[in-house]
Amino acid sequence: MAAMMTGSTGLKRWVERYPFLPALLILIVLLALNGFYQPRSVSMAGITGLTKTYLALMLLAVAQTYVVYAGDIDLSAGAILSLVNVVIVVLMQHWGGGALSVFGAIGVGLLVGLACGLINGVVVAALRLQAIVATFATSIFFTGLALYVLPVAGTPAPAAFWRTYGGRFLDIPFVFYAVVVLALLLRLLVRMRLSLQLLAVGDDAQRAFQSGLAVTAIRMKGYALCGLFAALAAFCVTGDTASGDPLVGGKMTLFSVAAVVLGGSALAGGYGTVVGSVFGALIIGLINSLVYFVGTPSEWQNLLQGLAILVALMAGVIVGRRARA
Amino acid sequence: MNAILDLVKRPLLVALLLIVGLLLLGEWLSPGFASGQQILRLLIVAALLGIVAAGQNLVILGGREGIDLSVGGVVSLSAIIAGNLMNGADAGIPLAILACVAAGALFGLLNGLGVTLLRIPPLVMTLGMLGVLQGLLVVIRQGIPSGRAAPGLSQFVSQPFLLGLPGIIWLWIAVGVAMALLLNRTIFGQRVYAIGSNEHAAWMAGVPVRLVRIGIFMLSGVFAAIAGICLLGYSGSSFANVGEQYMLPSIIAVVFGGTSLAGGKGGYTGTMAGAFMLVILQSILTTVNIDESGRQMVFGATLLVLMLFYGRGKAMRA
Amino acid sequence: MSKLKLGGVSKAYGATMALRRGDLEVEAGEVHVLIGSNGSGKSTLCKIAAGSVRPDAGEVSIDGQPVRISGPQAARSLGIGIFYQELSLAAHRTVAENIFLPDLPVTAGLFVDRAALSGRAARYTALFDGVAGDGLSTDAVVENLRADQRQLVEIMKALATEAPILIFDEPTSALDRAQVDRFFDILRDLKGQGRAMIFISHRMDEIFAIGDRVTVMRDGETVATARIADTDQAEVVRHMVGEAGQGAQAAAPAPVAEGETVLAVRGISGVGYSGVSFEVRKGEILGFGGLHGQGQSRVLRAIFGAHPVASGEILLHGTRLAARGPREAIRSGLAYVSGDRGRDGVIHGRPILENVIPIHALRQRLHLANPAALRQKAQAAVEALRTKFAGFSHPINSLSGGNQQKIVIARWLIDRPDVLLLDDPTKGIDLSAKADLFALIRRLAAEGLGIVLYSSEDAELLANADRILVFNGGRVTRELTGEARTRFNLTQAAYEAA
Repeated sequence: MAAMMTGSTGLKRWVERYPFLPALLILIVLLALNGFYQPRSVSMAGITGLTKTYLALMLLAVAQTYVVYAGDIDLSAGAILSLVNVVIVVLMQHWGGGALSVFGAIGVGLLVGLACGLINGVVVAALRLQAIVATFATSIFFTGLALYVLPVAGTPAPAAFWRTYGGRFLDIPFVFYAVVVLALLLRLLVRMRLSLQLLAVGDDAQRAFQSGLAVTAIRMKGYALCGLFAALAAFCVTGDTASGDPLVGGKMTLFSVAAVVLGGSALAGGYGTVVGSVFGALIIGLINSLVYFVGTPSEWQNLLQGLAILVALMAGVIVGRRARA
Repeated sequence: MNAILDLVKRPLLVALLLIVGLLLLGEWLSPGFASGQQILRLLIVAALLGIVAAGQNLVILGGREGIDLSVGGVVSLSAIIAGNLMNGADAGIPLAILACVAAGALFGLLNGLGVTLLRIPPLVMTLGMLGVLQGLLVVIRQGIPSGRAAPGLSQFVSQPFLLGLPGIIWLWIAVGVAMALLLNRTIFGQRVYAIGSNEHAAWMAGVPVRLVRIGIFMLSGVFAAIAGICLLGYSGSSFANVGEQYMLPSIIAVVFGGTSLAGGKGGYTGTMAGAFMLVILQSILTTVNIDESGRQMVFGATLLVLMLFYGRGKAMRA
Repeated sequence: MSKLKLGGVSKAYGATMALRRGDLEVEAGEVHVLIGSNGSGKSTLCKIAAGSVRPDAGEVSIDGQPVRISGPQAARSLGIGIFYQELSLAAHRTVAENIFLPDLPVTAGLFVDRAALSGRAARYTALFDGVAGDGLSTDAVVENLRADQRQLVEIMKALATEAPILIFDEPTSALDRAQVDRFFDILRDLKGQGRAMIFISHRMDEIFAIGDRVTVMRDGETVATARIADTDQAEVVRHMVGEAGQGAQAAAPAPVAEGETVLAVRGISGVGYSGVSFEVRKGEILGFGGLHGQGQSRVLRAIFGAHPVASGEILLHGTRLAARGPREAIRSGLAYVSGDRGRDGVIHGRPILENVIPIHALRQRLHLANPAALRQKAQAAVEALRTKFAGFSHPINSLSGGNQQKIVIARWLIDRPDVLLLDDPTKGIDLSAKADLFALIRRLAAEGLGIVLYSSEDAELLANADRILVFNGGRVTRELTGEARTRFNLTQAAYEAA
């Protein structure tokens, strides 16, 4: 009995320290199942394809995580992604599609993401509007902007852009470099003071304020960071789809929220990790592919995916609560 | 200044004034916008949104970050089930209504159980349920050919039914009366407010908090299902994800009706006005000669400005 | 010249005056004790100095210079550090992160310097080495710590500000003897460094052990300041009690309670209370006394099914009651009125009628709310309390605090309960409402209800309770009956070291 007790508290300590552990476990199981039903899916090509498709969602989930840290939510993340996607595609076309135009467009894209994030921050943190409805309103606004920049989907991204994204360097797919850079970036961000401050605000905003934290400014920075990562996600979408689409990100917003919850973060704020959200995005991707690999008839695939994600979401919430209780 | 502040405390009045103002604006921009016929058309569209918002209203009133993202999915599901069961024949209407309401109640029950027994946050639970519903839609649509609305239903929704008003407007009025009675003349309604306003005090006063919350989610599913049937009548045939357009607007209609997202405060009369206001606003934007991008930008910005009228959060330092 | 001086500071929350007139002067190199009963305004005064509450009026000066404290950050930069009574810790963060949350060590202006963080935090955790108990390390998550350890972390957080002015608002309430001794050693050391410190405690022995001067507050006002060396416990208690209360004791002789036992509690224990036993007879008013938060509320809630009972038993009319929640307790005939009406009683923003009928609706299993019929039922209940209100359809928040509480109490009067549990029911309500309330309580007792009354105001207990159980540290430590029910005895019993 005593051994069991220490066993369970040991597990609790681990989960507490690394809230993404349950997500990692689910991820490994899903990977194994994927490999079992379709050995090629865990090959180099399979993993490359998965990463290429879901890198954007991983980044968008990371974006969402920073606002969720502070107990906020951003329903405009997908719209920011769309806006950045069309802005860079149009700019690159306008500037001739060369390497310089790509870098220029990426710079502008980051600025656009940052600006959108700041608008959300002002609206939610400074004007104190409800995050859920206010960011829905800004999402409509950003979508309008995206439609203004590019009224219909289809403008192709320059070859230099998507060939790089889908290509290889030294025999290693580009997306893996992107993943490594992302990992390093997240490693840095985890150590950033802002991450800790956001979590403290999400834990209890009033207490954080009484401790002397600039709560409004911190929440605004969270939204700004969210905008930046949404822009990064947009670059990946552009690389993956090779074109501009003013509505491409709309559907991704709710998936980014789901990925955050799957990753073990609490929507109420104060508890979570960005790594978990990355795993959450991959879980969504692997569920989708697994459903396909087990030979589900095509019309049943969406239902099975939906059910599996619902179960995973519930399990994530319950396991997370158990671990903390 | 004080007069303005007083206005802010009366969201229903604000919404009604905005409705009149928007109608006048529409009439000015495009003569004929506020004609009787046109207003009737707007009311039909508003009724669809308004009925979905009735359920959303209850969920939000019940507090604890209550929100139902699955309503759009239920609307779509119901429209498809109804279309298949009717398949263009009036004889199928009763069965269709029964099946749709049952389906709505079932998904509401599942949401309610998840939220109360498993203590999943409503946002997460209903988001997951939305995914399941969308999957279910695909299954149903691929298994059975898409159905058509019964002529009786289409007539009910868009043709004059009684006193020159289409049936759906009467239905909306009936929903309004039913909601008013439910919220004000039943113990259940009072308990909805009680758990939304102060769940702990309600529990201490013997309110069966979980049962009430489950009931709320079931009603939300039922209202969405009813709206789905009407939507089928409005559009003639069912197509995938028709309900998605109601998910977030139903929340906005509730907020513009003066119901607080924190729960326990508000009512359905305001929501009806909020739904109508939202529909007029959208309609004005389609009337005026700007392209889609401009419409969306103006719409988003207008929503933000309007939100400033409705309850901002508390400042940190008292 | 005083290090910190607060003059004529006041603060009102709506109609409630939290602080009428707070005056306080603290010198460098002293521990200045602030004492006063619950709700006397001590915490509000401290929060104003710390910038987290905006004062309505008054002046603050530091080193003789008038200052404006615009927020917690401003207070910190002016050199004021505070220990918050309700703690200001982020539950999911580590001890080190919490200690330095307002001022995290960074490298390159962006990244938390983990090494410096834990190194610096270790200096503060080391202060309590040997007395902090297992598990309090710099990388422990605050949520997993015991109550006393969390309090130590909040102390470390205040100390880590290294501010010249330090405010400690009840820092010792959860600490054990050894921890308090260590804390006092630290305070003496800081005193030697010339820091100015404010110290709030309800333990009289602590105050005399560490204080240099003492300021007494009563009813939101500063009433006296004295050197500890020139005063004694009795004098401090007299200042706290006030002129009017000097001789106060039980007004009416205790009526002889001869009714049958309606509620019997046998050795119940749970979180925050242990080994509590007592009996209440029909028609008896049993008082719970002692300092606030000594387990009185928890015992009452536990009986009502709203707080877990780990062991022991509760008998109602001789049959065992094990309410899994308030619903069952209510159906069995229990009633509970909380003094924290904002949290436990009032259904905010709703009409008065809806606030009166929930218990009736439950006990009669109603489904429809017929306003006319319910109004009639509610009318009688509300009249019994002489409640002033314009109409049943008005929102409850339109009433004064006292009338709100009357409405909350009225909900129990439509269908009479057998036992009424009153958990500091008059907190923050005006005198006339209190009088009406106690008149009702006495009438209900006369009608044969068994009543348990916890009050944080000694005068109320003395005037109304037939017997008083004094709580200390979750246990009943004294029983005052008959002639022994005096204010002096009550205060002394409450302030005895647990």
